[in-house]
Amino acid sequence: MASIDIQSIRKSFGTFPVLHGVDLTIRDGEFIVLVGPSGCGKSTLLRMIAGLEGVTSGDIRIDGKRVNDLAPKDRDIAMVFQSYALYPHMSVADNMSYSLRLRRTAKEKIASAVGNAASKLGLDPLLERRPRALSGGQRQRVAMGRAIVRQPKAFLFDEPLSNLDARLREQMRAEIKKLHADLRATSIYVTHDQIEAMTLADRIVAMHAGVVQQVGTPLDLYDRPANLFVAGFIGSPGMNFFEGLYVVSGEKAELRLANGTVLPVGKRAGIESGSVATLGIRPEHVTLNDQGALEADVDLIEPTGFGIIMHVTLHDGPLKIFTLDRSMLNPGPKVRVDLPLERLHLFGSDGNRVD
Amino acid sequence: MTIAAHPHAAKPLRKRIADASEPYLYSAPALILIITVMLVPLVLGISYAFRDIQLLNPFSGGFIGLDHFRTLSEDQAFFRALRNTLWWTGASVFLQFFFGLILALLLDKPFAGRGLAQALVFLPWAVPSFLAGLNWAWLFNPVIGPLPHWMYALGIMDAPNNILSDPHLAMWGPIVANVWWGIPFFAITLLAALQAIPRDLYEAASIDGAGPVQRFLSITLPFLAPTIAITILLRTVWISNFADLIVVMTNGGPADRTQIVASYIFTQAFKRLDFGYASAIALVLLVLLLAYSMLIVVLRQTLLNKG
Repeated sequence: MASIDIQSIRKSFGTFPVLHGVDLTIRDGEFIVLVGPSGCGKSTLLRMIAGLEGVTSGDIRIDGKRVNDLAPKDRDIAMVFQSYALYPHMSVADNMSYSLRLRRTAKEKIASAVGNAASKLGLDPLLERRPRALSGGQRQRVAMGRAIVRQPKAFLFDEPLSNLDARLREQMRAEIKKLHADLRATSIYVTHDQIEAMTLADRIVAMHAGVVQQVGTPLDLYDRPANLFVAGFIGSPGMNFFEGLYVVSGEKAELRLANGTVLPVGKRAGIESGSVATLGIRPEHVTLNDQGALEADVDLIEPTGFGIIMHVTLHDGPLKIFTLDRSMLNPGPKVRVDLPLERLHLFGSDGNRVD
Repeated sequence: MTIAAHPHAAKPLRKRIADASEPYLYSAPALILIITVMLVPLVLGISYAFRDIQLLNPFSGGFIGLDHFRTLSEDQAFFRALRNTLWWTGASVFLQFFFGLILALLLDKPFAGRGLAQALVFLPWAVPSFLAGLNWAWLFNPVIGPLPHWMYALGIMDAPNNILSDPHLAMWGPIVANVWWGIPFFAITLLAALQAIPRDLYEAASIDGAGPVQRFLSITLPFLAPTIAITILLRTVWISNFADLIVVMTNGGPADRTQIVASYIFTQAFKRLDFGYASAIALVLLVLLLAYSMLIVVLRQTLLNKG
């Protein structure tokens, strides 16, 4: 177990830069999730921490020790791969004990370590099988078991649940969380799935185009997204955005859209009157109300069972609403909505949040 | 009702015969082709082994039973050829495999100009064996070839002689030519097998703490094992039957020191024109190679089942 310190890490493949100076401090025992769309550099960052990719510039420290030039095996980390990367010609027990055997650990120690890990993950009856005789979920468990037998300083997970079906993914997600609560090992988890990020993380690192967009607890990112990218990426269905001019008149402030609509927004300190701004509101925060201030045309109703996603048009612009009110399955052609002031997010012309 | 209960009885005889022979008729064209092209010559060849067939003797051709095999069991030249075959095949296959594997491992790593290097490596395979044999014979010839002089300069040889005329060294001539000619086969097949190994296995192993040697032993080798088994089987059979280089370079000499069974058969059949005796030797070689092949196939099957 250890802290991991990443200082202005850069990475280029040839002349093509993929990471533009990442700084991140991971505390001992913390569960960090790197999240972002494909190609944002999150996997590259993880592989650099593992030592599978070279560092173009910057420093990586594990437990205070600079590891830039150490081989993967000398960093004392364990990694779970998306493909599991199990050794196909070895039994489950041999897969799990491989790293210990390479380190010439005593036989009894190996047996007890493998036994412990296997019972934690429910692998006891499978120890003599080969990976090809296992289901996807079982292989996933073996990959986890291989990581935990060694008691490394840190666990690295590279999209470990992507190859599982939805039900199994949910189940393994809970198991990973339980395992982390049990072992309290420093973990870095890469995913593009925001549900995994929200449910597992102590802190989320949202990345886009090789740049860290925001670091914070899951609720931080949900409640106070730092910029338009995080606002749009976290949350499902995604946030609604309206672009317009931010105008202050007396104690009130409003956003004037291109089509002439005026939306009242709270007065903010970080932005000047007359500048371009983007307003954001999550679909679940839009309220439906017979006396609502705004009228919208209903385009489409998507029932999800749990709730209803309504696609409506508000003054020529699309708006999504999420509601638990089942009467909205047959809403009629028009509805009236409110955009509550305290739920509005405002972003300046540079895309950053203003309060 | 009775008609419905016994539908077969209602069919006319011709229809039943047609139905029964249908699958055989479908497979007949392929079977006839195989029988005429493969089985007939094989049976004919085997029958020669039990007959006295000499091209220059018009009274030959009679059935003589096991006479050829009795002669063969006392033929010292045959047993020497058998020992030479073991040496020739063993050394050629081992060296071809060894260098082919090294080449495949080198070509598996990315480097500038890899495409060109791969193309060049496979070039010897395209050279006709006859031409390759002549070339190497010249290379070993001190009058026109540089090799004896180089070996002399390096102190490997006492004098720049032709190793093809030295009874103790002559076999190395065709073996060297054969290794040069056969490396691409192993390099190509092993490279294909290497490239099918998932890269993340190596990454997982390096995180688990395996060095290059351990990664090779615990990942590369188990993955290559089935390919190695089948390529070595194929090459062993081919090389033990492969007399071209020997016939071209040494013609079995000096003093039968490079005579292998295949070239001995060639000599008996086309120089002495004793087809009967040649067929008898060929039959023995066939039986030996069949036994060997079965052994390797069984070995490979157990390897695959284990893996």
